[in-house]
Amino acid sequence: MSRRRRIGLTAAVVAAFVAALVAAAVFGDDRRVYVRFAPVLGVLVLGLLAAGAVVVVIDVRERITRAAERARAEAAAEHHRFLRRLDHELKNPLTAMRLGLANLAAGGADSDPDGPLAGVGEQVARLARITGDLRKLADIESRPLERVAVDVAVLLDAAGETGRDLPGGADRRISVSVPRVPWPLPTLAGDPDLLELALENLVGNAVKYSDPGCAIELRAFAEDGYVVVEVADTGRGIRADELPTVWEELVRGSDARGTPGSGLGLALVQAVVHRHGGRTELRSMPESGTVVRLRLPTS
Amino acid sequence: MDEARRPAVLLADDDVAITAQLGPLLERSGFDVRIVHDGAAALAAGSAEPIPDLIVLDVLMPLLDGREVLRRIRRSGAWIPVILLTQVGESTERAMALEEGADDYLNKPFDPYELVARMRALLRRSGRGLPPLAGARVVRAGTLRVDRTARRAWLGDRELTLTPKAGALLDYLVTHPDELLSRERLMEVLWGWESASTTRAVDNRVAELRRVLGDDSGAPRWIETVTGEGYRFVPRVEAAE
Repeated sequence: MSRRRRIGLTAAVVAAFVAALVAAAVFGDDRRVYVRFAPVLGVLVLGLLAAGAVVVVIDVRERITRAAERARAEAAAEHHRFLRRLDHELKNPLTAMRLGLANLAAGGADSDPDGPLAGVGEQVARLARITGDLRKLADIESRPLERVAVDVAVLLDAAGETGRDLPGGADRRISVSVPRVPWPLPTLAGDPDLLELALENLVGNAVKYSDPGCAIELRAFAEDGYVVVEVADTGRGIRADELPTVWEELVRGSDARGTPGSGLGLALVQAVVHRHGGRTELRSMPESGTVVRLRLPTS
Repeated sequence: MDEARRPAVLLADDDVAITAQLGPLLERSGFDVRIVHDGAAALAAGSAEPIPDLIVLDVLMPLLDGREVLRRIRRSGAWIPVILLTQVGESTERAMALEEGADDYLNKPFDPYELVARMRALLRRSGRGLPPLAGARVVRAGTLRVDRTARRAWLGDRELTLTPKAGALLDYLVTHPDELLSRERLMEVLWGWESASTTRAVDNRVAELRRVLGDDSGAPRWIETVTGEGYRFVPRVEAAE
């Protein structure tokens, strides 16, 4: 902060001036005294210079950090504008397609559930899901966050329920484990709907990318001012070369092609966690399983 | 709805791909549809005889945008029901959405039959000669009073403490009384999106509202659960200011 630097330097100069005045008043022009105290004065001057240098270094560092933050914020804002534009350009054609399909269906055209019209209908719904998720992403990154006390245990129980209700969910062994004694989990200050959305996405992935009989564990524990939430599964896992990009938008694993999804689920999860000041991690081994970990600050 | 006469609807959207499909769909649903493709034409058609019974207004249009058309119609003192094709209070304060005075909002790409349902609900209300609630700053439902501009609510003398989203939900419920509102619809009202897997967020907020209103879900005085469908705000609502 340049203000801090000004204050620091001004204080140093004033202190040196006052010290000189005091010395002159006390010792007058007795040179021997100055000679005797020369080393002390030298150390004092060096100390002041060092303090000044430290202030300058701190200031420069802060400037660099601020510039980096500004660049990040600008990139985030540009990304946000891009998502909005994309949403905007896609929603009119999608509306027209939905209306056209409704008109065709009302006109009695091709009611075969496996016919071409049903096929087009499914693809329109799929496109609508992708644009809907893009809108969610833009929204999560920008909307004011509601901050209320959130009980993670309640959210995990709800996410477990959601998982069991998903197609194939009843065939997975879904369990929830949360410490209750001697210290229950601390509450988070957060947006329960968004956190629920994040957990739903993770549970949804665990169900989608695993086979009947696989285990899915939802667990949470407290650690150094954080609540750590984990969604673990014994599912198909992710190839090592695909791990670095899993959090990116519209990225789908090479093994995920046959499974419906927008490729935005993990990006949404990450956006929610970042808005809460938290971090995400993902560990995975093909044919072994995946653990997604969310670290959410408690205060 | 008047059985003898088909309600006259003005549909304003600059995208021909949409009006070419939506026009016939609304005609088939029992409406008499007039289509315009820009804001100036919408304003002219909205204020000229025969005055339409309802206007469906897109926001982004040439000459005048939908919001400006709506503001001018409202400034002229006309209370034609208007459905704005955008997200509820999108990127604006809810207070501004109230200022705008749209009776309902629907975000593209909408479910065509949801639009028809919204249109019918609005026409039922205006058809019964009930004053519109969308522009009311304060509404009253029995002992409940909601100051929509200040976003505060009182039950009798007691002010209610609500989370922002429960407040937004209450605002939508009191301005759409006696309408069956699906969970998906309320999800969109609260969040601007539909959720693929669950609408629990809506159930949680309704539970919160019932708690502060002291409502019993078994014998609801305020918010009724319509099993498998959604919710309905029960009491009669009046514009107080």
